Amino acid sequence: MAVNQPPKLATKLLRWFCKPHYLEDIQGDLEEEYYDRIELNPKKSSSGWYWWQIVKLFRSGIIRPFKPIDSTQKEISMFKNYIKIGLRNLWKYKMGTVINVLGLSTGVAAFVLIALFIKDELKYDRHHENADNIYRLTIKNFTSDGALSRHWAFASAGHAERFKEDYPEVIKATRFYPWAFPDLLVGDRKFPAEQVIFTDPDVFDMFTFPFIEGSPETAFNTEQSLVLTETSAVRLFGNDWQNKGVIGERVTLQRDGLNAPFTVSGVMKDMPEHQHFHFEYLAPIRFIEQVFGESSMSNVTGNYNWLTYLMLQDGADPTTIEDQKDAFFDKYVGQFAQGGDAKDFYDFALQPLKSIHLYSNLESEIETNGSIQQVYIFGTVAILLLIVACINYMNLATSHFSRRMKEVGVRKVLGALRSTLVKQFLTEAFLVNILSFPIALILAELALPYLNDFLGKSLSLEFAGNMDIMVGLLLLLILVAVFSGSYPSIFLSRINLTQALKGESSINSNKWNFRNWLVTFQYAVTIALIFALAVIESQLYFVQNTDPGYNKEQLVSVGLSRNIGNLSTFKNELLNHPNVDKAAYASRIPTGRLADSWGASFNQGDSVASVNFRLPFIWIDEDFLETFQIELVAGSNFAADMDMIEDSVGYYLINETTSKALGYGNPNDIIGKKINYGLYNDQTYKAGRIIGVTKDFHFESMHTSITPMIMMKGDNMRTICLKLTGDDHSQTLADIEQLWYQFDQDNTLNYRFVDDRFNEQYQAEMRLSTMIKVFTSIAILIGCLGLIGMVAFIIETKNKEIGIRKVLGASAGDIAMNIGYRFGILIVIASVVAIPCTFFIVSDWLDSFVYRTSITIWMILLPATVVILVTVLSVGIQTIKAALVNPASILKTE
Amino acid sequence: MKDYQLGEFEEIVLLTVAILHGDAYGVSIKKDIEERLQRTVSVGALQTALRRMEDKDYLHSTFGESTAKRGGKRKRYFEITDLGKQALAYSKETRNQMWNAIPKTVFKFSWL
Repeated sequence: MAVNQPPKLATKLLRWFCKPHYLEDIQGDLEEEYYDRIELNPKKSSSGWYWWQIVKLFRSGIIRPFKPIDSTQKEISMFKNYIKIGLRNLWKYKMGTVINVLGLSTGVAAFVLIALFIKDELKYDRHHENADNIYRLTIKNFTSDGALSRHWAFASAGHAERFKEDYPEVIKATRFYPWAFPDLLVGDRKFPAEQVIFTDPDVFDMFTFPFIEGSPETAFNTEQSLVLTETSAVRLFGNDWQNKGVIGERVTLQRDGLNAPFTVSGVMKDMPEHQHFHFEYLAPIRFIEQVFGESSMSNVTGNYNWLTYLMLQDGADPTTIEDQKDAFFDKYVGQFAQGGDAKDFYDFALQPLKSIHLYSNLESEIETNGSIQQVYIFGTVAILLLIVACINYMNLATSHFSRRMKEVGVRKVLGALRSTLVKQFLTEAFLVNILSFPIALILAELALPYLNDFLGKSLSLEFAGNMDIMVGLLLLLILVAVFSGSYPSIFLSRINLTQALKGESSINSNKWNFRNWLVTFQYAVTIALIFALAVIESQLYFVQNTDPGYNKEQLVSVGLSRNIGNLSTFKNELLNHPNVDKAAYASRIPTGRLADSWGASFNQGDSVASVNFRLPFIWIDEDFLETFQIELVAGSNFAADMDMIEDSVGYYLINETTSKALGYGNPNDIIGKKINYGLYNDQTYKAGRIIGVTKDFHFESMHTSITPMIMMKGDNMRTICLKLTGDDHSQTLADIEQLWYQFDQDNTLNYRFVDDRFNEQYQAEMRLSTMIKVFTSIAILIGCLGLIGMVAFIIETKNKEIGIRKVLGASAGDIAMNIGYRFGILIVIASVVAIPCTFFIVSDWLDSFVYRTSITIWMILLPATVVILVTVLSVGIQTIKAALVNPASILKTE
Repeated sequence: MKDYQLGEFEEIVLLTVAILHGDAYGVSIKKDIEERLQRTVSVGALQTALRRMEDKDYLHSTFGESTAKRGGKRKRYFEITDLGKQALAYSKETRNQMWNAIPKTVFKFSWL
């Protein structure tokens, strides 16, 4: 019979709501019928029936009434009493209250801010109605030995259309082609724009872009339509653009001598902040296709400038498309002329739209994305800080237990149950939290502008009409109050009655009790944070102070514009300035990315073999090496009269890594060897010789290893780098600006110090370091408050012991040691727990660097040292005071 | 004349207790009504009705033996009291009077 008992939970439920004097009959009847049913039909389960019967018993006459009225009133009056006593105690011990409220509100403020940040990070791209079905097409490149060389956020021009044609799962596809730095002309007024985006008409069916004027259907009616955002409409037509009827207005797009008339066809709302791309001008892609020529639009390899999004059918699996990549490249590319199957060199991957912001960090992302790692780190820290703050309350609330001992005793004598006392102390925890929360919110509100500035976000703590935040805060309040009040209420309600009334302490502070674990936890969090900080800081020091192979000091890079005209005139004018020591042109400069790459082949003896690793290039001039103080280890620099464009033979500089990769350990041996370098697709290789080998230098950040690279003299210069001398750089720069306007009246001088650019490579790490510093300070602050409470507790319980020890001849130092040594034990335990746990997280973080510092012993010892120092400072005075007390004054009371 | 209040369901339960005579407890009453009248009876409705009539003194209950089948719970046997019998009789009589008071033509016409 035991096998087939009626469901226990249902019976329990019945017992809870049923009138007691009905219970036996009803339960008996139900069980009898239940077993009857089983006898009748042993195979069928009757528990569903049983549940249904119980549910049907929810009816008047069966449900027992709520507790009698008088007991509710009693509870209310007891609560009034708890609140009154609680408030009196808070008032009486003002210092303790202040410490408590301060600790809690700091912890809660930190938690709220981090929660806001995380909530914000998780919001990205979710507002698009089709977000679940939209994927970004990303392209992977492989070297001929099968290693992944680059993973691009952009695709080629031809992908979108072919995907839509070939795969039935793809129902919509759109590309975004950013056309950088055009000028927009309205009448005769000129507005320089950062970019105009050319896109396919599917875009409005895929993404949710609400229109203020015009509509998605008519937006791209002609090939030269232009859709604005609210901001750009204000910029072009003024604040009252809505009254002007901007639809149909003419705008001329100007770039590289091209003048194209466009008609404004719609104005949409500004793209929300929580989107991984932001565009201000949208135009039909047909226009740019005609500019580039139709033939280049079928390209499916290389030229990754087309941000491509695909919309799949509901429920379609993106991997089924990814699996067809071999067939795709066989069909559209097949074999390369130089040999090799295209399918071995390319792959594509579909990224869900919603995961791009947090999970994607590919080559040339359109905007800097967030990072899920950061979300996890901050989330963990937020929870830890909150726990530390709660622990603080627990410590302080229980440390002055002797103040409340008599009260607890009297309450017990008068008939208070343990549960009554638990309720009382929970009420007090709620009181402190209700005091702390407004302060926490004020703190958070004060810190918010700094945080926003720091993170480049616009987080807000807006309550009005924001149910999320209201409900969240209320839940947080309840959670924190219950958690922080749990231990004190259990601890205080456990006090032994007779001892409490006699005024004896029943708590042996020598015992390894729960409070020690609490303090150990606080220590562990602090130690973990300091340890992490030490590692991050030393890695930052390492990357910023390791010789990158070039001299970044006093170097200024100036972005060139198309108006500059003759480059050598400009350069000579600059060099005429007394404080400009050297100047060099380059297409890209160190601290940037080696993004341009062509194909190469290398003459090995008599045979020519294609170079099977990625060999990116930069254009430089003959002064580049000297300006950056990059050493040549073999061969010679470019001569001033070498001209890559005109000369039939090319001249190349390579770095040591390239030399080794080509099989020449000694760079002297590779000088004069033939290399062919040029565009992969149209076979415009330029044959040439390697004339020099430079020492390796960190062109890219130390996140990546030094890769092979090749330097050519010529042509496509985008930057000029100036080596400055003298002290007054601002005057020099002002002079340079003057000079700039003689060459270009349209654009402003756009300069950066190279060492700033250098440091910016580690911006994410510096930001993390700053955040961890703030968190560590908060943890230490709260931890100190907790320690003060802890010491008060120990001294209170060891009062007599101290007295007796002193009588027996212990010195004040002995006493202080006697109290202090236990903190040493706690710190050791905390270190042993915290360091290994953090070690894994931190070494994972270090792995994001190829060039990295190692974790040394001082990083492990530092946190413990800091914590010991903080402990000594915060509890020292109290301990010494206790040790100096006259024993007579303690012992005479007995 | 005393006022005998008896709802329709109460009347059926009371009659069934009388029919079962000595073997009337929760499950047996429920089963009897379900078989005889082809209607389902919920445990809750039955128990509240029984208690209500016990309060009105139409029924009297005693505890019987406890059985394993009921999970060790005792059966509560119901018996009809004299007052209960009077209530039933009163109810029957009033119905009869009302039947008799219906003019014959009502049925005649309806039969046509």
